[in-house]
Amino acid sequence: MADSLSPECTPLKSKYDTCFNAWFEGYLEPAVTVSSSERSAYSKEKADEFEAKCGKVWGQYRACVQKAVMEKGLGDLLQQAREENPLREPPVVQSSRRTS
Amino acid sequence: MKFFSQSFLYDDPWPIVSLAFFLRYPNPYAAHVISCDVISRNQTSSGSLLTTRLILKRGAMPRWFPKGIVSRAESWVIEESEVDPHGMVVRCRTKNLDHVKVMQVEEAVEFRQTPEGKTLQHTEARIVSGFGWGLTKRIENHGLTRFKANLQRSREGVSLILSLLRQSRLQPI
Repeated sequence: MADSLSPECTPLKSKYDTCFNAWFEGYLEPAVTVSSSERSAYSKEKADEFEAKCGKVWGQYRACVQKAVMEKGLGDLLQQAREENPLREPPVVQSSRRTS
Repeated sequence: MKFFSQSFLYDDPWPIVSLAFFLRYPNPYAAHVISCDVISRNQTSSGSLLTTRLILKRGAMPRWFPKGIVSRAESWVIEESEVDPHGMVVRCRTKNLDHVKVMQVEEAVEFRQTPEGKTLQHTEARIVSGFGWGLTKRIENHGLTRFKANLQRSREGVSLILSLLRQSRLQPI
């Protein structure tokens, strides 16, 4: 796994990546025929599963990186880039799990 | 401005190609990647996963480029992606955050499952320089040449990760 931008966050990042990747592998392969109503149940289930397994390390890693981003003066650059990006806020749908 | 687009078909199904795409750093074909961090990640109620990553890449300036303008040949890149496991689509956009006046490269890549169970990758890139001094065209041409070469290497990287994933799935638990 690639290093974090801040060496002190790299151990947390490795732990988070390992946890996320295992979860992600399952997330990519939902049961074959899922109706749209079952989809939201599926995402809720996957979100809960993520929270239970990786939530804690994700919180620690995110806090570490956010601090490093601010210290390196990248905050404004990042904010500006994200505001320009159409993927940031998907239209219509409400995010079920705000993590940022 | 230069525009580029290309499609590529992987023989593997979409879930494994998408996994390989997200696991692609580090690999020997991406030695220029210094760091890669997840800045935010959340799931939408429709079941998509949105991720923002911040990546630091090492670059090299061409020999003909004026000295003293770009002090460090490193660039921050932002990657915004959306993974839809039901529609079997990954959409991903990247662009550099600094040195944008010299050259801005915006890339959009999409991975889609085909009816035959393979994976189609479609890549588009837009390369713009606002440098001036009679060098704009030359910089854009250079950027395009580099982009094409890097795309090839990036695919080799994903293919390598794919073969590692295939091997690990064959192992009995």
